[in-house]
Amino acid sequence: MLSLRITRWLMGYVRFSVIGGSPERFFNSSVRSGAILWNIASRRNSGACVFAGGYKGLRPSARRAGCRLRVRERRGLPFLLRRLQPHRGIVAGFAAFLVILVLLSLHVWCIDVTGNTTMDTRTVLSALSENGLYPGVRKSEINTKKIEQKLMLMFPKIRWMTINTQGCKMQVCIQEKTERPKIEKQEGACNVKASTTGQVVAIRVFAGTAQVKPGDAVVEGQLLVSGVVENESRETMLVHASAEIIAETTHSCEIQIPLRQSVRKPTGNRAVRRSLQLFGADFPLTFIGRPKGDYDISGVQTRFRLFGTLLPISLYEENWNGMRTVPVEISRQQAIGQAKKKLSEYERNLPEGTKVLSAQAQDRVKNGTLVYSASIKCKENISKQSEILIKT
Amino acid sequence: MVHKDNLLAHAGLSMPTHMEINGNTEAVVDGCKGVLEYDTDVIRIRTGRLTVRFTGRGLTIRCLTADALVVTGFLTGIEFLV
Repeated sequence: MLSLRITRWLMGYVRFSVIGGSPERFFNSSVRSGAILWNIASRRNSGACVFAGGYKGLRPSARRAGCRLRVRERRGLPFLLRRLQPHRGIVAGFAAFLVILVLLSLHVWCIDVTGNTTMDTRTVLSALSENGLYPGVRKSEINTKKIEQKLMLMFPKIRWMTINTQGCKMQVCIQEKTERPKIEKQEGACNVKASTTGQVVAIRVFAGTAQVKPGDAVVEGQLLVSGVVENESRETMLVHASAEIIAETTHSCEIQIPLRQSVRKPTGNRAVRRSLQLFGADFPLTFIGRPKGDYDISGVQTRFRLFGTLLPISLYEENWNGMRTVPVEISRQQAIGQAKKKLSEYERNLPEGTKVLSAQAQDRVKNGTLVYSASIKCKENISKQSEILIKT
Repeated sequence: MVHKDNLLAHAGLSMPTHMEINGNTEAVVDGCKGVLEYDTDVIRIRTGRLTVRFTGRGLTIRCLTADALVVTGFLTGIEFLV
């Protein structure tokens, strides 16, 4: 029934009254001439509905039946359009709106990547773009299964992924693989040796025979825990020795800071370039070419969301800051400051679990360069497994 | 083998009237030849050699074409007049 109503509305219809004469005769004559009547009212308030195009054709039938017809209502799209004829702009605007709406609904507006924890969203988007999924592409051209397979081959980190179409938005759901824990090799006989020179502070032996005790001084490569174990019946056997040997060690490093340095300083020249990105296409908003010379570039992309949905429009702003390289002579104190920063970076890069106890530093200037020598006292695990090679 | 409709046509009888009645509120008549009387209490239609008379309350012709019509309302009786 709804489809019938829509058809009638689209074609337009007229509700009319039949006055005088014989309405039955009029109805019979009308339908015989090919008209279709509906909602026919009876004699007291006789009338019916007919398609707008068929109303004129009812007049001969009315004449034959001795009736007069009077239009009561005009309904449907043709009459609506006729009423809107003086306001052509509204009609044109509405038509343009419909066309744009239909055209836009056929394309991908935005891509939302979810579920990625370690993978960079931009990397995923770039890979999707390489495989034909980017804002602006026609939805009918996308083979989601194929893209999913290709991306899973490109990124071995992906355990599972799916691309869902949500209207004009493509939602890419990713689940990353959980990294397998590193399995320590426990096979074969081995000794535990010192990885560096130091003084033993504490020993925790898990397997093997300890060869040193707390307070002993050890040199790099010295046997700490032997893989040869003697049991109660004085029989020897080889085991995979394992231990945690904490020792006080000394690390020395030398940092060189030149007193004459080249520093990049801003010139004050600044250029801002803005562009509007619509469906992946760039539309420049500022007509400034790429500045020539030494410039630092930083860009900010502002994406717009409407009710949480990413829109296909984004604003990209590029800041170009002019720079120049200036030779600068720094003072000894400034050089020491820089050296201290480098030293703390060196301390951060020491093996995991290393605790810095103290640091002693000396500085001297040699050939226009500050030489910063530091001696760092640490507490660290110096155990290093060394395989026992057995000839069979 | 000759079809039933063709047999009727052969015998000089026109297309038989097909009537569907849904409860007592709607009657769909296919093969109607014209409306003879139309009021809220009675609708009389011609179907070939027969005249069918619908009686009831609030009767209306919902749709009318050259050979079919739909009667709706509270039907209380249907009479076939030869």
